[in-house]
Amino acid sequence: MAEEQRKPKKRMTATKAAASIGPMVKEFITGTNRARAEGKRKLAYTFIVCHHEEILRAMDVLPVWTENFAGICGVKRAAERFLQKAESLGFSRSLCTYALCGLGFDQWREELGEMPPDAPWGGQARPDFMISSGQILCDPRTKWYQAAQQFMPDVPIYNIDLPHPLFDPKKDHREVWGYYHKYIVDQLRGLVSFVEEQTGKKMDYDRLRELVALSDRTWNLVHETYELRQAVPCPMGTGDAMNTMVPLCFMMATQEAYDFYVNLKQELEEKIARGEGEVEDEKYRLLWGGGLPAWYALNDFNYLNSKGASFPAETTYRMVVPIYEMDIPETDDPIEHIAWKWLGYWTHWYDKARNRPGSEPDVERLIEYIENYKIDGVVMHLAFSCRTWHVGLIWQLHQLAKIYRPIPVLMLGGNGKGDKVQRELPSLILESDIIDITSYSEMDTRNKIDAFIETLESVRQTKAA
Amino acid sequence: MPEYFAGIDIGSTMTKAVILSDRIIAFVIGPTGPEQRRLADKVMEELLDKADLPLKALTYIISTGYGRINVPFADKQVTEISCHAKGVVFLFPGARTIIDIGGQDSKGITIDATGRTTNFIMNDKCAAGSGRFVEVIADSLGIDLDRVGDISIQSNSPAQISNICTIWAQQEVAARLAEGTPVPDLLAGVHRSLADRVVRMVKRLKILPDVIFTGGGAKNKGLVQALEEYLDAKILVPPEPLITGALGAALLGKEIFHRAVSKNQLLETKPRRLETIQIL
Repeated sequence: MAEEQRKPKKRMTATKAAASIGPMVKEFITGTNRARAEGKRKLAYTFIVCHHEEILRAMDVLPVWTENFAGICGVKRAAERFLQKAESLGFSRSLCTYALCGLGFDQWREELGEMPPDAPWGGQARPDFMISSGQILCDPRTKWYQAAQQFMPDVPIYNIDLPHPLFDPKKDHREVWGYYHKYIVDQLRGLVSFVEEQTGKKMDYDRLRELVALSDRTWNLVHETYELRQAVPCPMGTGDAMNTMVPLCFMMATQEAYDFYVNLKQELEEKIARGEGEVEDEKYRLLWGGGLPAWYALNDFNYLNSKGASFPAETTYRMVVPIYEMDIPETDDPIEHIAWKWLGYWTHWYDKARNRPGSEPDVERLIEYIENYKIDGVVMHLAFSCRTWHVGLIWQLHQLAKIYRPIPVLMLGGNGKGDKVQRELPSLILESDIIDITSYSEMDTRNKIDAFIETLESVRQTKAA
Repeated sequence: MPEYFAGIDIGSTMTKAVILSDRIIAFVIGPTGPEQRRLADKVMEELLDKADLPLKALTYIISTGYGRINVPFADKQVTEISCHAKGVVFLFPGARTIIDIGGQDSKGITIDATGRTTNFIMNDKCAAGSGRFVEVIADSLGIDLDRVGDISIQSNSPAQISNICTIWAQQEVAARLAEGTPVPDLLAGVHRSLADRVVRMVKRLKILPDVIFTGGGAKNKGLVQALEEYLDAKILVPPEPLITGALGAALLGKEIFHRAVSKNQLLETKPRRLETIQIL
């Protein structure tokens, strides 16, 4: 059933902004290799959504986003040989395949003393140090770099712990978040000391403050830009958002990222003014309700588009809420602000969930998008190797079905009498992996998509009747 | 002049075809086989013989199933999800949930009173969630697939089959057999294992009665019993559970045709000519 490793068709984008991302990513990967050769800047392996980019950039450290590189290997259908390399070292294929790909690549590079042959976009540069963080979500993020130290014993690791209060329907998280804040601030100050030690430079706090302010402005701008996708027809879908997330996730605290969203916002406003949608004849509006995408199969978004399905919203990679909507204390200390921003984001849907008995924050987020973006159905992708996040998705769908009650539909039953029913929001669960193409079958996936489209159509016809 | 509608369901293991007017005129079921997917015309010939009709008498033809794109004379292709829904509600107007266990996959479908799909879930990744699981075990025990249901319902103490992989389960069954576990208990354990896996998948949907069981798996009494136990609900089985997809395809064809007529629309049809696609 495995899809052969042929070169994927290029995914068509709906926006110029999304089309510009490929060269941008290539540049920051080749840029890290140039920097490695020049030896003027320190390179750090690290992970996205850790709220530490401002600290790294303020100290001129160049991040090497290891998950991003694994994703690139996936997009280019070039991950398999690195996965096999990791397997030959004794790592199980059922571990996080981002980590496996990175470990296979690192071992190969260290063994050769140069990049493995035909390494995508010149390969992943060797780091000077590694910054891990499992937050409270993802254990491979903590263990990955520890395993990588087998091949790079001279490269030190610093782990930042970034917890947030777990949701409790009976308790206001603000009662305890002060403790969390103090802890996170300590963690981040520890990171500053570690980076100072590694770079031999002192932190310039004025510069840090400026970069934090720039990140805040970018956050707000991303939110405002993505909210434009509520328009009917939707000007940009999730397929494009899997590209436009790049500046948000990998280039925060840079003017380039801010400028990217200025341009994207303008492009979307122009498309809306022209009445131009992601698809020519928008029939169904879908929510990408979670899961990382199958990076080697982004063309499936085009396939869905070809059936009249647009994706106005997604939870994946949309890791922002506007600063002005966060109920967090003000502070002039940039480290303290980063910590509050972290807590503000992760607890953003807590109050809403508390106000709806039986609800949960993740489900509230789905409901918010379903309502605001006029959603007809939910698509999720279960990536077998990412248990930390993906196992919760089905649970979220269950919770959604229990809590969320769409408008009742009056239907004529077989007996000719009116029959009031609660219409389920149709959902499609795709199953494969983030980069392990052996778990994917295009034929089966598209058969499921066809069936889902027919389901959406039948719901649409019933509503119309 | 009477109107005839045909549905042809090319599944991974079996090919099913139905001709319908105001009732089912004829149906055929045969193995798909490695080449049969490309030889849908043979099935259609047999069906037309049985119905005593020429091909040109068919008003509209819909193909469904995994091989639906390999039916050159079909006027439209529709997925098996929609077709099963339509076929089942024709047979059981009170149906709201369908469980289908076929040769290579299993599915759960929820439907409304008109036979429209409201949600669905499919397992096409793993043989252990499909009829293939029972087939492999029956084969390794040297028992004809048609008999496994009757044998398994004699069990008073179903064996616990803990492996979730078909190949390992086959080994486990062999080991249990060597230990002296009676065959009915082994088969009952195999059915429970499959039922457990399928019910866990289907429970992702909102299961409402009546629950209808279709596909080749529904011919197996032991599997019906195990599913009822794990679902804790009564399950209904059509008289011929393999043809619901093909029947639904024919019904959809009828619906599409009459809708077009009522709107005075021209409906495109393929030339009524049977051609064998040679692939070797």
